[in-house]
Amino acid sequence: MAAEEMGRISHRMRLAFAVASVIFVIVLAISPVKDLRREWKQYKRAYVQFAQKRPDTKRLLADFRPGIDQIWLPEMGVVDRCTTCHQGITQSTLAEAAVPQPFRTHPPIPHNVREWGCTICHRGQGPSTEVAEAHETTLAWEQPLLPVRLIQASCGTCHRANLPETPKLDRGRQLIAEFNCIGCHRLQDGERPAMLGPDLTNVGTKVSREWIYKWLKEPQTLTDADGNVTLDGYETEEEPRMPKFRLTEAELRGLSGYLSTLRSKTVQPYKFDPRVVAAWSRKPDLVDQGELRFRQMFCSTCHALAVTRGGETKLIGGDIGPELTKVGSKVNPEWLAAWLRDPQAYLAHSKMPRYQWSDEDLYKVTQYINTKLTDPDLLSNVPSLGTPTPDEIQLGQRLFVEKGCASCHVVEGVKPQKDFGPDLSALGGKNVSELEFGESKIPRSLVTYIQAKLTDPVSVNPAARMPQYRLNPADLEAVTTALLSMTGTPATSGLERLIVPRTEASFHPAGAFGEVYERYKCYVCHAFNGYGGDLAPDLSYEGSRAQRQWLIDFLKSPQTLRPTLVLRMPEFNMTDKEATTLADYIGMVLQNPSVNPASLEAKQFTPQMVSLGKQLYEVKYQCQACHTIGSSGGYVGPNLSNVGNWMTPAWIEAWLKNPQALVPGTIEPRRPFTEDEVKDLTAYLLTLRQTVKPQKTARANGANTPEPGAMQ
Amino acid sequence: MKPRCWLAMLLVVALTGLPGCRKKGGAAADAFRQAYDTEADWNDAQHVIPLGYEQAQGKRVFYAQCVWCHADATPAGPSNRSNVTPVPPLMNDGATLNSASDDYMQNIITLGGSAMGKSAMMPPYGQTLSQDDIRAVIAFTRAIAQPPYQPPAHPGSKYSVK
Repeated sequence: MAAEEMGRISHRMRLAFAVASVIFVIVLAISPVKDLRREWKQYKRAYVQFAQKRPDTKRLLADFRPGIDQIWLPEMGVVDRCTTCHQGITQSTLAEAAVPQPFRTHPPIPHNVREWGCTICHRGQGPSTEVAEAHETTLAWEQPLLPVRLIQASCGTCHRANLPETPKLDRGRQLIAEFNCIGCHRLQDGERPAMLGPDLTNVGTKVSREWIYKWLKEPQTLTDADGNVTLDGYETEEEPRMPKFRLTEAELRGLSGYLSTLRSKTVQPYKFDPRVVAAWSRKPDLVDQGELRFRQMFCSTCHALAVTRGGETKLIGGDIGPELTKVGSKVNPEWLAAWLRDPQAYLAHSKMPRYQWSDEDLYKVTQYINTKLTDPDLLSNVPSLGTPTPDEIQLGQRLFVEKGCASCHVVEGVKPQKDFGPDLSALGGKNVSELEFGESKIPRSLVTYIQAKLTDPVSVNPAARMPQYRLNPADLEAVTTALLSMTGTPATSGLERLIVPRTEASFHPAGAFGEVYERYKCYVCHAFNGYGGDLAPDLSYEGSRAQRQWLIDFLKSPQTLRPTLVLRMPEFNMTDKEATTLADYIGMVLQNPSVNPASLEAKQFTPQMVSLGKQLYEVKYQCQACHTIGSSGGYVGPNLSNVGNWMTPAWIEAWLKNPQALVPGTIEPRRPFTEDEVKDLTAYLLTLRQTVKPQKTARANGANTPEPGAMQ
Repeated sequence: MKPRCWLAMLLVVALTGLPGCRKKGGAAADAFRQAYDTEADWNDAQHVIPLGYEQAQGKRVFYAQCVWCHADATPAGPSNRSNVTPVPPLMNDGATLNSASDDYMQNIITLGGSAMGKSAMMPPYGQTLSQDDIRAVIAFTRAIAQPPYQPPAHPGSKYSVK
């Protein structure tokens, strides 16, 4: 290189430097441009543009925060930046469906969004500021947002008791209890009830080997041409609780053989009074009379029967007990009579009341069940099985434990396997990588996994021991919701403090009342101080409500107070002594502290008050929209024709002032009556008395009431 | 390598690095906005109407309080509607209810029929239901209305003036 050329830069080099500088500037510029174009900033700008088009721009922009916005709740470990993009969630004016997401107002919920954050309910990744990272499953984050249709699961993580706002979750929890999932799985908050499936210690005395074979193969007796039954009626979600197990022919023979040999206590045939049998067996309408008695006793309150009308099969009746359409072809007649007389002798935990039977009634009803509630074709597909061989019995005995039968059914001397199914108490918080999807082609997520497993257990695990349950789409969603709510131990102590535990009430009084109460199983339908069923009225304050004589009359011959009900109180044929014992205890103990019996004296009511009350009832408040007096009025509320004999004055007064204070959640609206109006209405209502008892008939309101069975 | 190639390569790297070129999560996010609950159209069981949170709460209140007189089928079977004169409108009767404003509906539910010059058979629910519950019932009514409900032409708060 020449000396004069040293230090001089050639033209070429100059060009190269220029180009390099330009590139350097561009590269330097990338970072700020990239930052400017971040996803969340785009949403910020879009929000400003959106707000400028609104009529309330000024207020919206006054609340606008340009940077990353976050809800930080250190106690609960929540860092939620969702509000960075979802900027309008607390703006009351952005609630309409026309407002584009992510700017719309959060729907009104019982919790303040700013105090609770977002991820506690919605899950997802709170600190993320990118759409995909926050909402979906990514390599680094496996907990996606919970689909909104299943979001009640999040309510359930803290609220272990049922809430009125979460019907789907409650239904799921109820199904999990009904299907006895706890028999095989460990569940959050689940307590094993005294009885899951029926005790099978004596099942050989109840049903034949052929029937057991059929039941194990296909645990459903009712099917129409499509293999389905249309379910109808009040709370009639009739499904056999017994799931279908995938059993081979040899397994079916073994299990049915083993079970049919279980007869540790023989059934003593009940000896009917020969005069009753002689008199009744000659009557041509014996079976019809039996059917009438079956209906009059309101067996249908707990047991449904299938009715085919217009080509559609419907189950009508309650679901507390099993449906009985074909029970005559199932059970041994001797067993049936013994069972009806004393159900607890065969099954100690049965919910069936121990009725007082006369020989005549028992004979009529058993004849009806054994003749009419039958199906000659029920066992037509079952091969003739004969007496089981010792090999079959041995195989059956082994399978009974291995297949998990023993996890729900008790057989004296047989021990179930411990922890038969996987622990599900923390299933709702599981990561996708913790789940076994096997060969299945379903999308990899917790929700799809749970639903596939519930719909067809072998689809995700061919070796699954879990039996096949039949869930309709709504119930599948409900059970999924309940399972997702079980997220195990909370991650922080702050979250642990939020848990609202389920309260377990119990009401099993001792003494003479307790005996009658247990005999007729009052708590299966009625609730007492938070314990018991929800089919019939809550009786916690019945002593404040009802007059003693009315209670005694009612217990001996229950008349329905609500004519639209299909399910009514059965006739127990109670003795006078039993009815008096119940009424006395109810009057003494089941009192509401805020209803003071001394507050009102019937004497203080004047005829003027009565006539004023009648006008208030009929004209000003038009109570007849919902209540019937005599033969006219509505049937939303109870019939008031006999309310003067039925209710105590103090209860009527307290009720009119505030119904919800006495029975929370009752549908009668609280009305703004004045003190005087309350007194006048009470005076009028107390004059409503029926001296003649209403006729005892099971079909009091024939035309309007769907009648169980094809009685017409 | 020629500088022009460097330039081109650097530009390519810079462009692909820009976030704007990435796929947006918009389509996937739609899946999370599925209905909170659903209600079958009363006139056509095949047509299922998606309900949002508030509408679903309205459905719950409706089936507890209103269904007895404002529907032809109730959870307990027959309806009380035929016993009430004048016959109450069905809750999905858009021809009758769509023309009633939200405020009117709120008032008649809160104060009762007699306060609004209608039948006293409609009781007041102001002391039984919260205002949120009542708003939810109205939202549910709007969701199931047939013919469908059209919100008023000028959305936004009526209290805010431009």
